[in-house]
This record gives sequence, structure tokens and C-alpha cells, in this order.
Amino acid sequence: MSGTATLSPLNLYQLRRTCGTCSLSELCLPMGLLRSDMQRLEELITPRGPLNEGEHLFRIGDPLRVLYAVRGGFFKSYLVEPSGREQVLGFHLPGELIGLDAIWPEKHQCNAVALNTASVCELPYAQITDLSRQVPGLQHSMLRLLSKELALSHALAGDFSAEERIAGLLLSLSSRMKARGYSETQLTLSMSRRDIANYLRLATETVSRVFARFEQDGLVNVDRREVTLRDMEKLGKLGRCLSIE
Amino acid sequence: METGVRFDAAVARRYDVPGPRYTSYPTALQFSESIGEGDYLRAARASNDDPIPRPLSIYVHVPFCTSPCFYCGCTRVITRDRMAGARYLSRLQREIESQARLFDRDRIVEQLHLGGGTPTFLSDAELAELMGFIRHGFTLRDDDLREYSIEVDPRTVDESRLAAIAAMGFNRISLGVQDFDPDVQKAINRIQPREGVLAVISAARRQGFRSVAVDLIYGLPRQTEAGFARTLEQVIAARPDRVAAYSYAHLPQSFKAQKRIKAEDLCAPEVKLALLGITIDALTAAGYVYIGMDHFALPNDELAAALADGSLQRNFQGYSTRAGLDLVGLGMSAIGQVGDLYVQNHRLLDDWAAALDAGRLPIWRGHRLTREDRIRRAVIRALMCRGELDLREFGERFELDFRSHFATELDRLVPLEEDGLIEIAPSRLHVTPLGRLLVRAIAMQFDAYLGRQSSRETRHHSRII
Repeated sequence: MSGTATLSPLNLYQLRRTCGTCSLSELCLPMGLLRSDMQRLEELITPRGPLNEGEHLFRIGDPLRVLYAVRGGFFKSYLVEPSGREQVLGFHLPGELIGLDAIWPEKHQCNAVALNTASVCELPYAQITDLSRQVPGLQHSMLRLLSKELALSHALAGDFSAEERIAGLLLSLSSRMKARGYSETQLTLSMSRRDIANYLRLATETVSRVFARFEQDGLVNVDRREVTLRDMEKLGKLGRCLSIE
Repeated sequence: METGVRFDAAVARRYDVPGPRYTSYPTALQFSESIGEGDYLRAARASNDDPIPRPLSIYVHVPFCTSPCFYCGCTRVITRDRMAGARYLSRLQREIESQARLFDRDRIVEQLHLGGGTPTFLSDAELAELMGFIRHGFTLRDDDLREYSIEVDPRTVDESRLAAIAAMGFNRISLGVQDFDPDVQKAINRIQPREGVLAVISAARRQGFRSVAVDLIYGLPRQTEAGFARTLEQVIAARPDRVAAYSYAHLPQSFKAQKRIKAEDLCAPEVKLALLGITIDALTAAGYVYIGMDHFALPNDELAAALADGSLQRNFQGYSTRAGLDLVGLGMSAIGQVGDLYVQNHRLLDDWAAALDAGRLPIWRGHRLTREDRIRRAVIRALMCRGELDLREFGERFELDFRSHFATELDRLVPLEEDGLIEIAPSRLHVTPLGRLLVRAIAMQFDAYLGRQSSRETRHHSRII
């Protein structure tokens, strides 16, 4: 995404060793925790990275050992259908948790791959659940993140046009970037158009056609992977469907 | 937008040094063998991933000629063996198939160009087969917006061949004319009577080609002002949409065929300058617009419109109206460009064939553009295509301060400003009508590689005039 240069894993690593000083803590698991509780959480967490583009965090069937919080970079989670076709489940930005769908049956249900240079925090699952029994805020935080994932997959299942879906994705990325202190109008798409198409259940050509139409209508500017959102109001109307904030 | 052009023999003589034509920046001389097939495969696959992938341009090189024109500096193979075409075609098919697999089918081929050599060395059946291979692997367009062109040797076609070529999807042709003067034609080993060439031009019009271009060369052996003036008059009377008047580059060390041109037949430098002068005068007086470098076009041609509205582009085919295409180069010595990567195929027929026979793409060398390359390429393109550069806008686009980034280059431009080629204002550079003709000399000041080239390398560049 836009500004990933300043969000590089190395940089963050130097800036932050604890949740208390992490700029993402208000979006991530520690959200709303008391200082003392956050310290107990910090003790369980191990930073990992950098991961290179294309490197997997986990694959389907791997036992659930840890959950991952994205610290830097961009991840894609996906399934591989028996036919060999990929099915993209989601894109994960810094401050977001990956691996929640492995809680039952304690095996990863999808693959997670870095779309650019990335880093994560590992949260050992068993210890986190133990801790969440003692820290109600943490339990609530987990449920909140799970619920958000559910809502998004419901939204994607809806009967929406290609325009609505693409506007929805752009808005979702825009608001997530804004929450992380980045520009809400300058997006760098780390994912390929094939991934976008797959995620939104559209044909690859349709994605490009809609982007071209948006550009023609003055809604966006597209320069290779750089997308500038020019008409937030129109995009907002179109993209309501995927908005779960 | 500056569209005028002014010729001043005294100034032109001062700037008549060897220099690149900047159909690319950096030029092919910077290509290195450290770039190979793997780099290209990755770049080509990644080029499908943008939200709106770039459309495609295809160049096919057909290297064969039945006899050598002595002036020619193209990569070519002289043969009378008609089977050479068939053998070449079967390997081209393999190359087209491998290349086509790399690009998503919704990436439309906006531009297609067959160059040579002599593309019409291939028979109609072979050309149709070639177009069939391309059509099978790529998505061609059938409407008027396509720019599908072929270089035609007027000696090799008649109206029925032109009809066949049009039916294959070509809507533009360019004809190698050079000079109608029989004396010159003899000296360059290219005898093609005027009547035949003019007949091809009118036949092309009847067959519905949207654009007919004529190539002329000044500075050829035995050329005279009177003779070339007559050629210009006759060409102008046929009203081709575009006229290119190239400067003959006598580089016999680099191009073997040129050794057969007798030194005593060569044009004196004054004559060559005078030929350029009368070319510009004749074409502009006849209503042709000077596009840039060696190119002229009728005012209703889209190149003239692109020049006027600032959208003119420069690529391997010279000036163009189309921007932002990925170029797929096919055939021996062909150059391709995908995103920031340039690649060039093997220059020798045997090497090209051997790579394909071994199941590889026949890539010989290439260059990956650095950020600095992209910045300099943008400067050179702006100067060559728009004759104008807004320093602040440019600085914002590339997040730099133009005046400090290019302090040395701006210093080097001062003598050119004194000679009236360019105006250096606090916020912009402006190429004057005098400078437009010598724009290579201006562009060279921004070429980061020129200083480091050996004299052997500079010999590869033609002279500016």
C-alpha cells in the first residue's frame, strides 16, 4: 500500500519492540487493553521477519501453533480448490490478524503468502487463549476481529455488480490505510488484478474494464499499480456494499 | 506547442556530430548480456498484473533481402533462397507461441509492424501464415484504430499483392523510395523506376490503406541538389501521408555493404547540408508538417495532430501517437520492451534459430531501466516530442529539483542556447524552430551514457545531419 517504504519491517522493528509503543496497537489485538494487561500479552509475542515476496506464513493443514499479526507489508490468504484453482480469501494489512480460521479444528484452513516484503508478530495460540480467560478485554478483542472477518465474507457473498465490488474493495483499502495513518486517496495495489478478480468473484478482464471505466468517469486515476481515488463521494455510494466499518 | 522548423546551414554544420536517434533511452548500445530469458519471463508475467495492463505492440523482423542496397545499415540476410523464408517462418511460429503464452488475451494488440530486411521477401501465403500465427496467439483488433503497418519494397509488390496484404489486416504501408535519380539508384544498387513506385502508391490508396509513408534518404552517393529536388517534387505530387527523410550514415566499418560505395561518389558535406535544406523547404512549402527528427506528415495525419496537442510519442518505430504499450519483439535482432525491461533477440540468424530449436526464447541481451534512466528518458522524450519541458511539473512528477538534478546538463546547454537551439527560462526549456532540427544534439546533453562510450561505440551512431 501507499507508504510501504516507511512501513518497512526493519524500520518498524527498530521503532517498536512492544505492543505499548506499536502504532498498530489500537487496530490489533491489544486494542482497549489496560497497560498492565498489554504487558502480559507482550511477553508472549515474538516478532518474525522479514518475509520475502512470495514466502508463505503457513499452508493448509499446518497445525495451529500461533496466530499472526501483520506488522509490515501485505499478505494474501487463499485456498487451492481440488481443480488446482486458487480462491483468494482476503488481503491483510498491518495490524490485522491472520490464522483465525484455524482455531477450529486447530489446523490452518488456508494458505497465507506475503505479497511484498513483510513481517509479523507471532502470538502463541494456547497461551493467548489462557490469557484471554484472565483478561476479558483480550477475549472481546479476539471476538471482534473474528466477527469482522465473518461480516466481510457475508458482504462478499452478496449479489453486487462488478462496479460495486471494486469500489467496495478500494474503499475498504482506503479506510484501512487511513486508520494506519496513510493517505486514503493514494493506494498502491500490492495484489495482482488476477487476485483482485478472484477475491471479488469477477473475471480478470472485468476488473480491468471497470478500472478503465472508473478512470474515464473521473472516479480514479490508474498508473500501473498506483491508484488515486478522485471522487470519494461517488465511490462511497457505489462501494457501500462491502463497507463493514 | 512549437511546430515550425528552421534550417541554418552554418549552425547545422557545427552540430553535425555522431549521435543516437533515441528511439529508446538508453540506446541498444547499453544493453548487456546479464539480462536474459529469465528476466524477460518474469517481467512479461508481471506485466499482466496491473489493474489495467498495458496494451501491446508487436514488431516482427523479417531479415531477408534478395540483393544488398549498398547504403543499408539494417540487420539483414542477403539470399535468393526462397526456402530461407519458410524455414524462418517455422521458427517464428515457435517464438510467437512461446511469447503469446506470456501475455493475457485481453491485452489488445494496438500496433503491429513488420520491418526488415524486406517483409515482402515472404510470399503472400507466408505472410498470411505469419499473421495467422500472430492472430492465434494474440488478440488483434479489426477496427480503424489499429495501426498495423508493413515496410514494402516497391519492387516486390503489385496491386494484387497489396490487396492480399490489406486483407491480412495491414492498414498502413511504408515504401522505401530513397531517391528516384537513376544515377543514384545505380550507385546504391537499388534500381526501382519512378513509374513503378508511383503506381504502387496509387494502388495502395485504391486498396484502402489508411496511411502511405515514403522513406527518402539524403546524402547518398552521386546525389545532387537538382536530382533530389526532382525526387521531392514527384513524391510530393503523390501526396503520401508521411515522408521520412533520413540522413545517410556512411559507416563502412560497421556495415559491410557500405564498403561497396565508392568514396569519390559520396556527397560533399556542403551538398548533404543543402539537400537537407531543400528537403525541408520543399516539404513544408507543400503543406507537410515537420514532426521531428526526419519525419514529416500531412496536416490531417494523426502524427501532426499529436504534435499539436502534445501527445506525440517516440518509440522503436520512430514517432508514434500511442503511449504506454508493451512491445513484443519477434524475429532475429528484434527489440522488445516490457515495463522497465528492454530485451533484444540474437542478431545472428544461426544464434536466433539455435535458441528456438533448444526450446528457449532467443533473447541475447537487454537492459533494466533504473530510476535515473526513467528520469532521463522522460526529459529526452519531452524535448524530442513536445519541444518543451516544464521544470516544476517535471520536478513534481519525479520528486526532484530539476535545476539541481541537472545542473551539469543545464551548463552544457548554454552554448546551444547561444546558438539559438534552445531557450532556458527559469521554469521551462523550449526547443526553438532551429533546435527542432538538431534536437538530437540537445537530447545528447541529457544522455548519461554518452561520455563513457569508447570511440568505437560512437562510430555506431549516425551523424545528426
